[in-house]
Amino acid sequence: MNLATFTLLIPAGILFAYAWRRGDGSHRRGLAKGGRTLLSVLPLLLLAFTTIGYVSVLLPQEGLQNLMGPDSGWRGLLRAQGMGMLMPGGPYVVLPLISTLYQLGTGLGATITLVTSWSSLSLLNALWEAHFIGWRFTLIRWTLLLPFPLLVGLLAEAWFGGTS
Amino acid sequence: MRDYTILILGGIVLLLAGAAWRSGGWELVLAGAVGGVKTLLLVAPLLLCAFLIAGLIQVLLTQDKVAYWLGEGSGWRGIFLACIGGALIPGGPYVYYPIAAALLRAGASLGVLVAFVSAKNVWPVVRLPLEFALLGPRLTVARLLTTFLIPPLLGFLAQALAGRQVEAIRENLK
Repeated sequence: MNLATFTLLIPAGILFAYAWRRGDGSHRRGLAKGGRTLLSVLPLLLLAFTTIGYVSVLLPQEGLQNLMGPDSGWRGLLRAQGMGMLMPGGPYVVLPLISTLYQLGTGLGATITLVTSWSSLSLLNALWEAHFIGWRFTLIRWTLLLPFPLLVGLLAEAWFGGTS
Repeated sequence: MRDYTILILGGIVLLLAGAAWRSGGWELVLAGAVGGVKTLLLVAPLLLCAFLIAGLIQVLLTQDKVAYWLGEGSGWRGIFLACIGGALIPGGPYVYYPIAAALLRAGASLGVLVAFVSAKNVWPVVRLPLEFALLGPRLTVARLLTTFLIPPLLGFLAQALAGRQVEAIRENLK
């Protein structure tokens, strides 16, 4: 068992123990809920990971490193921000894909820009937002947020870029 | 929504398999698929933990609780609570946007609403185990630290710069 699995087992254990101690069957419902979610996204996960397999064998690593690698500078971050906005789908699809890009050579800053841009500026998400709350709100939030994915990437490179 | 995603993703997989076939024949088609499944199996224990955590959080913390908790907070206190509520609330956009709309109807300010949505986007407690599992501890921690101030900062900015727009936004709610 690797360190990451172990680190995740701790909160899982604590939450499970807490739910179990409540004595109202929360622990069983939590397990069932997690299992159901996993089963319902399993086809998506399979497709997402197959995509990843193909991206890994097809994508020229050198090209990716030039585009968004650690030495691609603010242009690389800008590309990551644009790519994040266009990425469709929820975390089950997008996070596995981003993790592959990261392993193939995307820089730390660019990867963080990618995650931030996808999760907060995704165009698909903006459609949901405009539908439920209205375009005016989406426009305000979107405009204010626009510089942040890039800034966050720059900050991450400056703070954490050196170590690997 | 999900069926739609599956169709798009299925199409992408077919396109990629076609590209693999063109550049390396059936051998590369197989290599890509096997590589993908291998990666999935490699992270399977992590995924199991991540989904277990997500399931338990969703049972222990219902959307009503978060909405009740947020109440009609205003000013910096409202923005602060909205950040925590947004971070904790489980569910996709079809869950938290209707809740955000309900908060708006109940009298929440623009800053509170922006802080709530931003916290859901950058500090989502339910998504974090998955992110940790797939991207690793170093990247997850670096991302959390660098984005830490975004939700409250954006809430304040929105309130200060466009706070008066909230009436117009509220009027347009269906």
